[in-house]
Amino acid sequence: MRLETFSYLPALSVEEIEAEVRSIVERGMTVGIEHTQNPDPYDHYWTLWGLPLFGVADPDAVLAELDACCVANPDAYVRVNGYDPVRQGQAVSFVAHRPDGA
Amino acid sequence: MFEAGVRQYRETYWDPGYEPAETDVLAAFRVTPQPEVPAEEAAAAIAAESSTGTWTSVWTDHLTNLERYKARAYQLEPIAGREGEFLAYVAYPMDLFEESSVVSMAASITGNVFGFKALRALRLEDLRIPTAYVKTFAGPPNGIQVERDKLGKYGRPLLGATLKPKLGLSAKNYGRACFELLRGGLDFTKDDENITSQPFMRWRDRYLFVMEAVRKAEDETGERKGHYLNVTSADCESMLERAEFARELGSPIVMHDFLVGGFTAHTTLANWCRRNGMLLHVHRALHAVVDRQKEHGIHYRVLVKWLRLAGGDHLHSGTVVGKLEGDRETTAAVLDLMRENFVPANRARGLHFDQDWASLPGLFPAASGGIHVWHMPALVDIFGDDSVLQFGGGSAGHPQGSRAGAHANRVALEACVQARNEGRDLIGEGPEILRRAAVSSPELAAALETWREVSFDFATVDTLDPALA
Repeated sequence: MRLETFSYLPALSVEEIEAEVRSIVERGMTVGIEHTQNPDPYDHYWTLWGLPLFGVADPDAVLAELDACCVANPDAYVRVNGYDPVRQGQAVSFVAHRPDGA
Repeated sequence: MFEAGVRQYRETYWDPGYEPAETDVLAAFRVTPQPEVPAEEAAAAIAAESSTGTWTSVWTDHLTNLERYKARAYQLEPIAGREGEFLAYVAYPMDLFEESSVVSMAASITGNVFGFKALRALRLEDLRIPTAYVKTFAGPPNGIQVERDKLGKYGRPLLGATLKPKLGLSAKNYGRACFELLRGGLDFTKDDENITSQPFMRWRDRYLFVMEAVRKAEDETGERKGHYLNVTSADCESMLERAEFARELGSPIVMHDFLVGGFTAHTTLANWCRRNGMLLHVHRALHAVVDRQKEHGIHYRVLVKWLRLAGGDHLHSGTVVGKLEGDRETTAAVLDLMRENFVPANRARGLHFDQDWASLPGLFPAASGGIHVWHMPALVDIFGDDSVLQFGGGSAGHPQGSRAGAHANRVALEACVQARNEGRDLIGEGPEILRRAAVSSPELAAALETWREVSFDFATVDTLDPALA
């Protein structure tokens, strides 16, 4: 199973995830986190982990939320999204965490 | 009183003091008059013959108001380093053209005048479509953002491939070629423009096998996939029949060749796609016949503008680095015309006018033709995320076959996107980025080895003019 952007690279390290998060916020986007146990390419709406992190520019704060989402949903796929208010849509999405063995 | 006879065009159609109105359609022509024809007369003739004028006075001129309807040549410039050529700017009142009709614009502005004897050559370099006129067009059926949202693909260029050999495969074997590429990691496969419905593979058979391949690749990878099913046909009835069948089979996208199909057929199909939520990939066979020669024809930037108005979600743009014509600055301007909402005039890029698209959706440029994995860093740098990079030979030519070739391209793409996001220099560090990614991808390592010495270093035919001193 592949899951879109970066799913053909080795699993991203914490440092690599942090770099991606930094790139999202530096481009003026808002990070959002969402999760599901049943990824399906025709399913556009995974479960939101709280609201998108409006005004949060510190990658460490984003990583802490990501970690909390993974701990609370150990069997879930978790992805990081970037919402771009200028283009009024989502511009980034990648899976940052998979269930063990998936 | 009516005076019969021939008058010089410039008496009526050369107006150097004219201040163009916001609602005028503006055209920049490269004019090469016959040696005995003065530049003003040549420019005025273009304005006249592409609007209200003809070669002689006619009594019926006096039944209308030429001041309201005539086009005006309002500016002339020599072109540095191009003896005997001039840039002529012509303003057309918007009422000369029908609403929502590229055909109407093209028939007037690129009509008889291109065969006018007094001119040795004529090229339409650029066109400014006023906002009020833009607003009458529906444009791309989906646009970049809607396509991304539908397919759930973000933060990277999309990947495609044209199936090869482009002619002669059976429908079942063709579907196999499609399946291997899609499961390997491409987002789209594509019919070559030559493929319509020949005796060796009828369209209905192709659609059925290809859509099985698309569905199976989606099941296997967990990603959305698509194949540009070419619906370009001999007549509009067949074109729509094929599009309907593609929709019934669940295809997310169809393909059309806008120039050989013609703007009427194309606009009909774009309208159908908009009504049916179907993506539309647009191929450009015929374009180089029209746009490649510097002195005569229509520059591709104008064809791009017309296509964005008529509608399309992907359009071929040139690659800069591959086997087909197109320098970097000209291509960069074409990319802006496809994607941006406002494109400022920039003579260094061949853009003569500001173009405001007034929120008409943008479309994906498709880079295709002789590109392979070593080009990936430059392609990501030139094209950015909102593009489709198409590796036909550069996927199926992999020593381990199409799946491995597609996989290699996907790994290379993601490694380049990641490196860019981390602030690395794709041009300077490109080879190193690829080699490092190949450590964990034997498919990429084999691709790098296969194509390490292929390049297409030929001079560009249609170069940009140097700026005037």
